[in-house]
Amino acid sequence: MTDAEVAECLARGREGDEKAVLELFHYMYPHVAKLVHANLPAKESAEDLIQKVCIKVMSHLNQFSGKVPFLHWVSRIAVNTCLNQIRHEKRRPEIRLADLSEDEANVIEQLATTPGELDASQKMAASELVEKLLEGLKPADRLLMKLMYLDGHNVQEIAKLTGWSATLIKVRAFRARAHLRKHYTLLMKENA
Amino acid sequence: MNPIDDQLNRLFRAARKPEAGDFPVPFGLETRALAAWRGAGRREAGLFDMGVLARGLVVAIVIMGASLWPVLHQTTDPFSAYLQDSDTTLASDETP
Repeated sequence: MTDAEVAECLARGREGDEKAVLELFHYMYPHVAKLVHANLPAKESAEDLIQKVCIKVMSHLNQFSGKVPFLHWVSRIAVNTCLNQIRHEKRRPEIRLADLSEDEANVIEQLATTPGELDASQKMAASELVEKLLEGLKPADRLLMKLMYLDGHNVQEIAKLTGWSATLIKVRAFRARAHLRKHYTLLMKENA
Repeated sequence: MNPIDDQLNRLFRAARKPEAGDFPVPFGLETRALAAWRGAGRREAGLFDMGVLARGLVVAIVIMGASLWPVLHQTTDPFSAYLQDSDTTLASDETP
């Protein structure tokens, strides 16, 4: 859907055309679902959060000014809703080797001893280990690390998705990365 | 590259989830989303009506104030002026 088509749908929606509103809903839904799945807080159901975002977008649809592309506006609502949910989660101050499962400890050992990529069978343990490491970060930093390293977005894309400035993103990324490095080093020392 | 950074990068690469291709819309979400849009429209209409009501109320208060102003701020009390007139009339009647 182009910007002009979105604008037309919005105009029709303002006149009460439900078909146009449904078209917009089906246009934005995959985007919202993808973003929520990628930035889902650990203890939250994806379906509930997607529903929350969709309802928030639809109830503010008439307030969309058109200054930014429609999907960017939707993304910001989705990202901020995810961020608010992450804020409700308890932050883990420090992660210890004893908190890790056997598979997660094996992942650390494998990373330290072999230079290659991890096996496909270790993906699940790697994913859980990353989640545990990220739990020590501030909510905004956690979200940023996910967008940057797990979804593979660059600074410009994250700026569009979140509305944060490029400088803020770089500062947050640097700080979060330093925090992760420190915690990962502690784990390595414990494991050695 | 710092070995720790290299290990962290490999860890993140392994933790990446495969891109999920299809996200079917959950049952009933379409209806709830439409209801949210309609509800927002009604709320906006309601706010407009309240605005008209408030403006009407303000205009009524202004008109009321404007009509009462001369009465409330008269320099001479009309009742005392009436009594004074009566006294003058009585005094003139008693004069032989």
